[in-house]
Amino acid sequence: MHIRKYDFNYSRRMFMEKTLRGSASAGVLCGIWPLLASGKDLMKAYPDELVSIEVNTKGKVKPGDVITANNVEHVKHLLTEIDFKQIKEDGRKIIINDAPAATPDYLFPLDYYEASVRNAGRAGFDAGGNLVDSKGGGKWIGGAPFMDPKDAVQAYANMTYSWGRHDFAQYAIRDWDINPDGSQAYAYEFLWIELNTTNRIREPRVFKNFENLLRLNTVLFTSPQEQAGSSFLSEWYYDQSKFPELYGYMPLFRRVRQFPTNQRFEPLVPGITMFLSDAWGAGDPMLTWGNYRIVDRRPMLVGGSGRNFFEGIQPDGKPPVHGGPKGQSYWDMYMELCPEALVIDSEPTGYPRAPVGRRRVYVDARNSMLINQITYDRRGDLWKTVIATAGPKNNGKKALKNSHGHVEWGVQTFMIHDIQSNRLSRFYLAPQITGGHKTAFEADETAVYDGFLTKQALTRLGAA
Amino acid sequence: MRHRLGAGLFFVAVTLFFAVGLRNVELKTIFSDLLPEDDPFVQVYKDHPGFGSPLTISVMVKRKDGQDIYNAETLRKVWNLTRDIDLTLGVDHDKILSITTTKARYAEATPAGIESQPLMGDHVPQTGDEIAEFRRRVDKAPGARGFLISKDHTATIIEATFIERILDYGAAFRHVQKLVELARDEHHNVYLAGQPALTGWVYQLESQMFGIFAVTLGLLVLALALYMRNIVGVVTPIVTSLVAAIWGFGLTGWLKSPIEPLLMIVPLLLVARSFSHCVQFTERYYEIYAHVRDKVKAAEITMGCMMAPSVLGIFTDIVGIFVIAIAPIPAMDRFALFCGWWAVWLIPTGVVLISLLLATLPAPRNVERLVSSRSSAFQRRFQAFLAGIARLTFGRPALLTAAVVAVGGIFAVYTALQIKIGNPVEGSNLLWDDSEYNEAVRQINKHFPGVNTLEIVLESRHPDDNTRRTAQQAHTAQTMAMLQVLMESGDAPPTATRSYNDYMMGANSLFQGGNTKWLPIDPDDRHVQGASRAALTGGSPKDFSQVVDFQIQNSTVSFWYPDNKQETVDAALAAAGRAVALVGTEHDDFIVRLATGTIPLQQAMNHVVERYHWIIIGLLNFMILLGCSYAYRSLLAGLLLLIPVNLTNFALQATMHLLGIGLDINSLMVAAIGVGVGIDYGIYLLSRICEEYHANDGDWGLAITASLTTTGKAIMFTAVIMLAGIIPWYFLSGLKFMADMGLMLAMIMLINMIMSLVVLPLLVWLLKPSFVGRKDLYIGEGVDLSAYTAADGGPAARAQTKPSESQPASGQISRAAPGASVSRDAMSPAE
Repeated sequence: MHIRKYDFNYSRRMFMEKTLRGSASAGVLCGIWPLLASGKDLMKAYPDELVSIEVNTKGKVKPGDVITANNVEHVKHLLTEIDFKQIKEDGRKIIINDAPAATPDYLFPLDYYEASVRNAGRAGFDAGGNLVDSKGGGKWIGGAPFMDPKDAVQAYANMTYSWGRHDFAQYAIRDWDINPDGSQAYAYEFLWIELNTTNRIREPRVFKNFENLLRLNTVLFTSPQEQAGSSFLSEWYYDQSKFPELYGYMPLFRRVRQFPTNQRFEPLVPGITMFLSDAWGAGDPMLTWGNYRIVDRRPMLVGGSGRNFFEGIQPDGKPPVHGGPKGQSYWDMYMELCPEALVIDSEPTGYPRAPVGRRRVYVDARNSMLINQITYDRRGDLWKTVIATAGPKNNGKKALKNSHGHVEWGVQTFMIHDIQSNRLSRFYLAPQITGGHKTAFEADETAVYDGFLTKQALTRLGAA
Repeated sequence: MRHRLGAGLFFVAVTLFFAVGLRNVELKTIFSDLLPEDDPFVQVYKDHPGFGSPLTISVMVKRKDGQDIYNAETLRKVWNLTRDIDLTLGVDHDKILSITTTKARYAEATPAGIESQPLMGDHVPQTGDEIAEFRRRVDKAPGARGFLISKDHTATIIEATFIERILDYGAAFRHVQKLVELARDEHHNVYLAGQPALTGWVYQLESQMFGIFAVTLGLLVLALALYMRNIVGVVTPIVTSLVAAIWGFGLTGWLKSPIEPLLMIVPLLLVARSFSHCVQFTERYYEIYAHVRDKVKAAEITMGCMMAPSVLGIFTDIVGIFVIAIAPIPAMDRFALFCGWWAVWLIPTGVVLISLLLATLPAPRNVERLVSSRSSAFQRRFQAFLAGIARLTFGRPALLTAAVVAVGGIFAVYTALQIKIGNPVEGSNLLWDDSEYNEAVRQINKHFPGVNTLEIVLESRHPDDNTRRTAQQAHTAQTMAMLQVLMESGDAPPTATRSYNDYMMGANSLFQGGNTKWLPIDPDDRHVQGASRAALTGGSPKDFSQVVDFQIQNSTVSFWYPDNKQETVDAALAAAGRAVALVGTEHDDFIVRLATGTIPLQQAMNHVVERYHWIIIGLLNFMILLGCSYAYRSLLAGLLLLIPVNLTNFALQATMHLLGIGLDINSLMVAAIGVGVGIDYGIYLLSRICEEYHANDGDWGLAITASLTTTGKAIMFTAVIMLAGIIPWYFLSGLKFMADMGLMLAMIMLINMIMSLVVLPLLVWLLKPSFVGRKDLYIGEGVDLSAYTAADGGPAARAQTKPSESQPASGQISRAAPGASVSRDAMSPAE
């Protein structure tokens, strides 16, 4: 006879207590930090009901099952309100996955993990609220500043200071924008490049002496033809109370245009539902938002495995689609049980004209990675969701490895749904897009800078 | 009557069936369904409902002390209003535009390129310097002046667009209207307009409807109670009318067909109609009961003698209502279905159910008094008055009356034919001219391009081909510009024009450095496409939804006009027609379609009245002619009945014309209902004349006098009942549409009554038709009660069947139309 050490509601009570305290480590049976530091499976920090989907749903759902409108009630407690609505009313489905062992390679790029462990305990905030290396002084030195976040601000620092957990990442993205009737309104291909100038894992620790910047970020559209060559460059200050500078270039006009710096709640190009503010659940400088607080801790479904990496399985690595009025609204997503998600609310205190009233993010407590973001309008009504999958780029048939032979780790797919106007955009990271640009995590950063991350580069890219 | 239990159970079962359907009944105004669907303008509107900003509200803040808006107080008010409007349920947060939002921008060239910034920073300008800087920015934003700030700088506008799928018109209106009311102060007037606001007003005012319903129903029941003064007389009409109402509403519930609340006055007319019919039926029952003293037998006899006239009367109502459905207006179709079937249900309920109730409910104890021949002084004076009217219609005075009627008729017909089509109101014809909404429209029209628009649509031939977006092709842009030039230089130039080409030109200029010399775009697809992308960058196609659809395929060119007077409408449409002819309709990638917007839609409404007014009246006349001719077995009878009701219509239209009111959709409905329901009076009277002609041995004068002094009273009671049901709407409704309907229906029923009391007997006297003397009419046959009473042999029966001077000989009860009765005093039971 198997005697369970903890009853079914033990974790629920534990989560409630931790949420009420407002500051606590992740983990139920024990803290996750010792396990993380030693590279062990973090699932040991959780009881069976948070490890097994079968136990969690009292046998109603098991790995391999497909969540549809018929059985979504059994996992309602593991979803956001919009996830539930999409599945119940709009034909979205989720494929339940075996929860992989929560080892570092499942949760992080390995070099990022190693830097995080190496630098653990050194992060702090200065008087202005910016992240600093409290031991050595100066800017943060790379990796996750708070491997075991104790509060909402720490978790958000993990999310904001290193979006993709790489010093450099180049994402070749394909996007489809879906009308309320399920038809396709727009489709884009674009290259998203982010290069950290500080908060770096590798040398140089400060890129090109940009001491006062956090990152450079370029978005270059390569398709359709009417948008090709249009590009945007964001220069992020390290000081998180400053708005990033935003420049745009359109080939026809051969002039760089500076956009309002606080224009972060509008799409860059027509038809897309993504605002700059939506990126990574932390698209704006941290200190331009406020009132961060953990409002809940709970298990969730997360798309964290390599099964959402479709290269070698699907043509162009494009995930299958389903649902919506025309059967093409949603990506197929494999999701597994995440034992502990932090639910963090924040408000756009630095934007007096923001249409958003509140942002709620669901973050995997084990790696501070975004699972889902929901924005509410100022009335408090549900407005938009960002649903992301991220994990190792290894699906068993194909693996994407770096120069050290490690499997790369990063975002796989994401969907943004404005449920008020019922417009939806879905994105995936393609191996390559029009113009020959490829998804990559390593490159000659100086060449990338010269080629993509300056205003002059924008004009050259437009002329190409 | 032999199977009363079974019949009663049948009625209970059917009523329960329809009662279940009541849960699906939906009272809903669908504005687009008020438009004629076969009109080409309406078809353009329905194909492109997004153009012309149908989901946008406009809030205008106006300084009323002569100052301009460039002061901290006004700018703060606009900022707060803008932010608070963003809190409205169903608002599209991406589509709120005012001088305080980030979408209102200016641009200037800088050494680094072009800098585009919001007119207003992250806070309201407070100091003199900040306000001066704000004004400097406004001067650099040509798009802001004219469309966001009035030319005299004393007013500014806030526009917010709603998402139709989640918009609750009532809730949104209440929220914004409250904000508007709170924002008004000694220095500022604040006005709210736009289709969602209009819908909100209509919904709010429609909620009055239930109160008015209660008042009118109360009046009807009161009139009934005063008239009847016994249980059976009060309960029978109420139950019968209630059952018919349940069947009428229940059917629409089962059909899931929304009911148009704007037209709810007509069902009330049906209730009144049902009441008056029941009164006639019940009174006949009293008389017969007084003779036979057996409530079941009395009910059976009543049913037998009332069936044909009842069915004929209801038949004309049904025709009058159903024929409205000929007009291709979906709301009218649904309404004709709803009310037409309700009228049909008056036959089983008003003939069978009523008989069952009369046979079942306790017999009235005051029947003696109800059928008594004693008259009050009022009754005697009233009868003398009616006798006086009768004297005008026969003998020597009839010639003078005929001459007056002929001259009046010719004048009425001539004047009526001069009536204009349409009743233009600046704002909405649904509301009173001095309503808050229409005043807001007037004020906004005065300061901004306003709401009187004409839209010429450039419809893509390949709206789903995202590789060729029609609205950003060079030829399309050139066509837009050409239409604007042609209209602006034409005979009736609009006050403003706008197209997607304007936005593309603005973006072209902006990205070239802001100089207006860069407004023109090189006339090739690449440059136009580039300008389009420039306009859309950093925003959403929704920002331009007033002129182009989300996929940049279909587009519109908008023209604004200062008013919607018919001459303006005619000139605008003529100019638009010429412009479209010049640019051509068919193009490789698109079709030019004329037109949508408030001006073409107003024309469509007028056009449908013009097209269908005479068709509906003609068809109605034809149907009623057939029915009545068959019932009276005489074509002349049908014609005789139709003359007064048509003369009534002409008289009403002539009056409207003299008062400066044009024909509109209300008058179309009123005319149809006026003929269908109004002809009942004539049927009552003509049937009575037929009976009295026999009773008075072929003396036309006596027959007419007897008819007017008996059935004339019934007609007047019926008219009172009808007016009690209708006239409160005129005084109580905040909706002009409903009030107008109430007034016109009341007028037409009143004129109908007068015409039937004067013109019909006059015609009978002049023509002396032979059918009056026939005894084989479906309507107007007598029934010999002596057969029933002899069989019973009871003393009471024998006493009641004794001939009197006020009754036809041998206890013969006339099988007359509703209102006709055996006793001349039977119509005055309440003495």
